[in-house]
Amino acid sequence: MSTQDKPRLLQTLGKRIWVFVIGTVLTVAIFLVWPFLWHNGPVRYTDIGEHFKYGSIGGEKANGIPYWIWKALPVVFADKLPGPGYTSFGFIQEPGKDLPIGFSKSKIGFERVAQNCATCHAGTLRETPNSQPQIMLTMPSNTVNLGAYIQFLSDIAIDKRFSATEMMPHIEAMGAKLNWLEKLVYRYVAIPQTRDALILQGSKFAFMDRQSDYGPGRVDTFTGYQTRQFNFPVDKLSQDELNGIADFPSIWQQGPREGMQLHWDGNNSSIDERNNSAALALVTPTTIDFEAIHRVKDWLLNLPAPSYPYPINEELAAVGKPIFESTCASCHLFGGSGVGKVVPIEEIGTDRGRLDSYTYKTLSNQNTLFTGISYRGVDQRFNHFRKTNGYASIPLDGIWLRAPYLHNGSVPTLRDLLEAPDKRPQTFYRGFDVFDQKKVGFVYDVPSEGNRQYFKFDTNLPGNGNGGHIYGVDLSAEEKEALVEYMKKL
Amino acid sequence: MDTLKLKLGPTIAAIALIILLLVGYVGWYHLWREVPTYYESPEEQFKYGSIGTENAEGIPYWIWLVLPRLFPEKLPGTGGYTSLGLTWEEGKETPVGIVKKTIGFPRQGTNCAVCHNATYRQTPKDKPTILLGGPANKFDAQGYLQFLFACANDPRFTADYILPAITYNHQFSWLEQQIYRYLLIPQTKKALLQQQQSYAWMNFRPNWGPGRLDLFNSVKFRTLDLPIDNTIGNSDLMPLWNQKQHQDFSLYWDGLETSLKAAIHQGAIGDGATQKSIPLNDLQRLEDYIQQLNPPKYPFAIDQTLAQQGSKIFDNNCASCHAFGGARTGKVIPVEEVGTDRHRLDVWTQGAGDASSQFDLQRTDGYVSVSLDGLWLRAPYLHNGSVPYLTDLLELPENRAKVFYRGYDVYDQNKVGFVAQGDEAKQVGFKYDTGVTANSHQGHLYGTELSADEKQALIEYLKTL
Repeated sequence: MSTQDKPRLLQTLGKRIWVFVIGTVLTVAIFLVWPFLWHNGPVRYTDIGEHFKYGSIGGEKANGIPYWIWKALPVVFADKLPGPGYTSFGFIQEPGKDLPIGFSKSKIGFERVAQNCATCHAGTLRETPNSQPQIMLTMPSNTVNLGAYIQFLSDIAIDKRFSATEMMPHIEAMGAKLNWLEKLVYRYVAIPQTRDALILQGSKFAFMDRQSDYGPGRVDTFTGYQTRQFNFPVDKLSQDELNGIADFPSIWQQGPREGMQLHWDGNNSSIDERNNSAALALVTPTTIDFEAIHRVKDWLLNLPAPSYPYPINEELAAVGKPIFESTCASCHLFGGSGVGKVVPIEEIGTDRGRLDSYTYKTLSNQNTLFTGISYRGVDQRFNHFRKTNGYASIPLDGIWLRAPYLHNGSVPTLRDLLEAPDKRPQTFYRGFDVFDQKKVGFVYDVPSEGNRQYFKFDTNLPGNGNGGHIYGVDLSAEEKEALVEYMKKL
Repeated sequence: MDTLKLKLGPTIAAIALIILLLVGYVGWYHLWREVPTYYESPEEQFKYGSIGTENAEGIPYWIWLVLPRLFPEKLPGTGGYTSLGLTWEEGKETPVGIVKKTIGFPRQGTNCAVCHNATYRQTPKDKPTILLGGPANKFDAQGYLQFLFACANDPRFTADYILPAITYNHQFSWLEQQIYRYLLIPQTKKALLQQQQSYAWMNFRPNWGPGRLDLFNSVKFRTLDLPIDNTIGNSDLMPLWNQKQHQDFSLYWDGLETSLKAAIHQGAIGDGATQKSIPLNDLQRLEDYIQQLNPPKYPFAIDQTLAQQGSKIFDNNCASCHAFGGARTGKVIPVEEVGTDRHRLDVWTQGAGDASSQFDLQRTDGYVSVSLDGLWLRAPYLHNGSVPYLTDLLELPENRAKVFYRGYDVYDQNKVGFVAQGDEAKQVGFKYDTGVTANSHQGHLYGTELSADEKQALIEYLKTL
């Protein structure tokens, strides 16, 4: 053994130790980081129905809530919910599914939950209180109380229990299999950042304090737009522009609607632009998933309205048909001369809150949205918005399933709509999904069912007026009955 | 080895050259590449075409776009730039008078139309009707400048605060991010602060309010770099239409200029164009456009019989100074004679005239008796906009409104002018106090002695002009 061998041996050993240490650190690091790198991207489904219900439209990237936080919220803040779980907001839960309809889960580093079109455009239907609810996709949501959900997220964000200390034990108890690094990320990044984002969101929705309650099936489309897209100061919004709460629309059969004045006040005549505009409630101009939205659009183009599932008195309907043709068709039947066109507010006479909530200054700022963004070579910048002076007369396909009626959902049934405004119900309940086959609409005199309270709609509150649209109110009782019978067939 | 060295030398040089060219090209592309704004229609060119202001004073478009969203508390109300009186047409990306032009990167500039498009509404619920060439009655040019300056002064005017708002709306490449972060955002802040310095004289003078400018002090202190003095030149924006009928008229309120072409060039330079960037061909198109542009007709009902009666009163009392072909129409009337507030006249000092060799603007001794085409849309009246309605103008000064509100564009058909009093006007409008220096509503007593019936008839006739 030469004297030089010893250091060489030590050197070799030293090198090996380094290799070992670096190797171990790298292995552990890869092991810890791996979950963040795997399976990233928007959730996709091959089936179009599943895609509509659970697919991502790009919301996760913009304002997705980390999955485990979203799961833990109803547990940690059970006292802030109207009932047990998210379904107490009227979200529809299918058996065997993790999320309610209208929610998507995608992984961007970690799993996040966002919403899609189906949140507001899917509902349920029961023949009797004992029937199994039937899920009807693309109908206007009749159960979802979006306002209450937004309010819930605003309330919990400023609750002191919104902290890692309070929430992490619940998350772990719920079975989250998070590694050490993921836990750290949740504790020090995800939870505080989500809280801050929800506080910010809450501040942009603070105008809701100055509005009538939305209740199920309604939302104020354009005020949140002003505060969230353009950061108009909430406290400077004028009161007469704050009464724009409107019913969710059905979204079937879009093809024949191309070129019509869309939205309740007819402020846009482009389906694509209307869709992108609606999506902005959930995405941003740079995170929107055009591919996902166009898949839904293509599906909706020729999707027929659901047929009336209960018996129809054909004889009576045959009597109603000519009445419809002479009284309603010109404004409400595809091909009618006035269909899809705005009727001036002075003429239609319905509550003007929604009309006034869409202002020229909103339009002006909207013109800058999606600037420089194109999809399939088409420039996406908004250029179809117009300020109108009334409400659009809409085609009545599937009208039986679109109750309550008028743009603000202030008249519960078709039969009530054919009465003069002072004879229409002044208050009624919304959110109950049992169908009233006689009046055509949902049963509206049931205040609660089990532990679920329904929403009392008061037509005397701002934006909720049930006046106007007095077409057909002078028909005889028999004629009205026949007309309603016929309208079941639309 | 030597041969290798020999070959290596040129290779390195060639590679270096290619890299240099590449960097040069990328730099040129992102900073200097100029894309002209040409619109086939002269009207579109007037509304959205460049007059050369973007090279020197253009704000990077994406920064300009998000400023109202980042600093909304510095605006007078909701609505972003609309709260300063800018008007978007339905479907258009920028407001009338706001240019988007790419010089390396998209930049925002202004053109003639920003101050020369008027709007009116019949009722508060109507959307605005835009009438090109009219004085921009609701645009608050000073408020607009002050908003930009306030943003630049805010410590949050940084890349960290501004970039996320931009990338919310627009995807930047990595390179664009760096250019905005390290070059455009800090440079814009600096440039705005410098511009604020050049407008510091505004702070010691009464506010312009919407529809008015202190144009010639701007020319004196910013363009000609003359020493600051005590003059106040706050005056109404003027209509640009119908120039074909204004041949040989004295231009500007005090008749400083007689050449329309020169006045257009002065306007462009006052707006930020430089001798190098000024687009002479485009300005010629604008000149041709405003030569032919007709004044807008009064859009409401007119009592023709009454107007007929008023026509004779007009002929006897107003025509010699105000009808086309009148002996004194388009000429300067001495200030002693017309008796209106003299501050605007005194802005253009002898010194200014001497210094303005590039413009040749010579001081006069009064105000031009203007033609009255499209008069209904030119309220408030007199050069300083001190009289809100035509009905007030036919009253003695002591009976004219002392305080009123400007900038609200709902029309008052009875008084002929924009609604200038009442809660709604007060809420959106700028409080105009005729007691403030240079705001006096004295003078122009013509017609004040007519009978009430005669006045009514005359006003009915004036609607037809």
